[in-house]
Amino acid sequence: MQKKNSENTRLLSSIPRSAFLILRSMPLAIETCELTVEFHSGVKALQKLDLQVAPGEIYGFIGPNGAGKTTTMHVLLGFIAASSGTASILGVDVRRAIARQRIGYMPEQPQMYLFLTGRELLIMAGRLFGMRGKALADRAEALIEKVGLSEAKDRRIAGYSRGMMQRIALAQALINDPDLVILDEPTSGFDPIGRIEIREIISDLKRAGKTVFFSSHELSEVEKVCDRVGIISRGRLVAEGGIASLVRTGESLEQYFIRTLS
Amino acid sequence: MIKTLVIAQQVWRETLRRKDLYVLFILLLAFFVALMTLNVFGLKSLVNHIKELGLLLVWIFGWFLTVGVSARQLPQEEKSGTIFSLLAKPVGRAELLIGKWLGASSLAGLATFFFYIILTGIVVARGGNFSPVLAAEAFLLQFCFIGVLAALGLLFSARMHGDAAATLTAVLSVAAFLLLPQAPQWSANLDGWQRQVLLAVYYALPHLEIFDLRRRMVYDWEALRLETLVMIIAYGVLMTAAFLLIAWLAYRNKKFSRDIL
Repeated sequence: MQKKNSENTRLLSSIPRSAFLILRSMPLAIETCELTVEFHSGVKALQKLDLQVAPGEIYGFIGPNGAGKTTTMHVLLGFIAASSGTASILGVDVRRAIARQRIGYMPEQPQMYLFLTGRELLIMAGRLFGMRGKALADRAEALIEKVGLSEAKDRRIAGYSRGMMQRIALAQALINDPDLVILDEPTSGFDPIGRIEIREIISDLKRAGKTVFFSSHELSEVEKVCDRVGIISRGRLVAEGGIASLVRTGESLEQYFIRTLS
Repeated sequence: MIKTLVIAQQVWRETLRRKDLYVLFILLLAFFVALMTLNVFGLKSLVNHIKELGLLLVWIFGWFLTVGVSARQLPQEEKSGTIFSLLAKPVGRAELLIGKWLGASSLAGLATFFFYIILTGIVVARGGNFSPVLAAEAFLLQFCFIGVLAALGLLFSARMHGDAAATLTAVLSVAAFLLLPQAPQWSANLDGWQRQVLLAVYYALPHLEIFDLRRRMVYDWEALRLETLVMIIAYGVLMTAAFLLIAWLAYRNKKFSRDIL
C-alpha cells in the first residue's frame, strides 16, 4: 500500500500543475471498485479487483492464462455482469450501453461478419456509433489505409487471413475515434512487421491523448509501450505500477513477472 | 432507431448472401411451375385447387423462412463470436433484439409478398383472379403472423441453441395453428380440471389461425370488415410485443464469455 502511494505521489509530482488541475476534473478512464465475478460453477474469476487507469495512459494488463484478464475486459464491456462491486468507463457505469460510446474494443480472437467486406464492416461499425455520410466513409478509408488493407477492402472477410482479420478488427475498434481503446492480445495474430505496426498505432494513440488498456502475453511488447502495468493472478491484482518502479536494475519485465508470480 | 435499422440491415445482408434462401426460392418456383402446368380434363374449377395449393405453399415457405431466419440470429452471433464486437458498441440488448426481429420479419414479409405476386400471376394465367382488397388483407395478416412467429423464434433462441429454438418454434407454431382451434371441441367431451386445463392452454397460446384468410381467397368470399381486421392486427402486435418483452427479460442479463466460442 505504502509503495502504491509513493508511486502515485511520484506520478503526480511529474505532472505540470495546469495539467494536473485539468486531469483532476476528468473522470478516470477505467475504474473498478471491489469487482467480483463468480460464475455459476462457483469459480471466482475476479476477486475484489480495484483498478484505476488515468486518461491518456497506456496500461498493460498482464497475467497467466485464466488469471481474469479477459473477464475484466468483458465486465468493462458489459458482456458479463459483476457479481458484486462496481465498474465505470470514463465516469459512466459499464452496465449502461452509452458507456461504450467512446470506447473501441478489439477482441482476442477477432470474429467478424464473414459475409461483409472490410469496408462494409467499418461502415456498419461506424453507424452503430451514430456516424454517417462522408465523414464515416472518409474515416473508414483512412483506417483501412492505416492498417494496410487498401487492396483487400472490397473483398469479403471470409477470404482474409488471420493477420488481415486482426487488422480489420483493429480498424473497427478505432472507427469512432475512441477515447479509450481496449485491446485483448492485440499482437497475437501478427508477424514481426505487423507487431511493429501495432506498436506504432498504439504510440500514435498515446500521442493523440487516448487511453489504451491492453492485455498481452508478449511482455517485451508491454515493456516497450506501456506507462504502467498491472499483474493479475487468480482474479486479484498482485502488482501494479510504472515499469521502472517495479523492476530491479537490469531486470526485464518478464523476469519480474516470473518472480512476482512464483 | 438507427442502430436498430443497422442491425436489421445486417440480417438482410447475411440472409441474402447465404445460398439457402435461393434454394428455397427455386424450390417454390418449381412447385409453382408444376401448378402452372396442372390440367385435369380441362376443368375450369381447377383454378380453385391451384389457388388452394399455391396459398398453402406460400404459407409453408413463409413459415419456414421466418422460423429459419429468426431462430438462428442470436445463437449464430454467439457461436461465431461476433456478439463481442457488436455489444462492445453502444448497442443495448433491447435494440439488438428489436433489430433482429425487424430484420427477420421484414425479410420474410417481403419474400412472402413476392410469393403472392408470383401466385397471382399464375392464377390470372389460368383464368382466375384474387379480389385485390381481400388479397391485401390476407397479405397484411400473414405479415402479422410472420411478426409473431419471428418474435417467438427470438424468444426461444435467447436462451437456447439455434436448432433447438427453431425446432421448438416450429412445433409450437404448427400445434397452435392446427391443433389449438380444435381445443373447444375436445373440451366439450371433458369434465372438471381436465376441461379447465385445456381451456387455459387454449387461451394462453397464440391463436395463429386467425391470421389465415386462405379459404376466403380460394372461394372469393367477401373481405374482412375493417374493425375485425384492426382487432386481429392489434392482437398480433400485442402477441409480438409480449414475446419480445419476455425475450428481452431472458436476454438482458445473459453472460457472454469466451467459453462460448
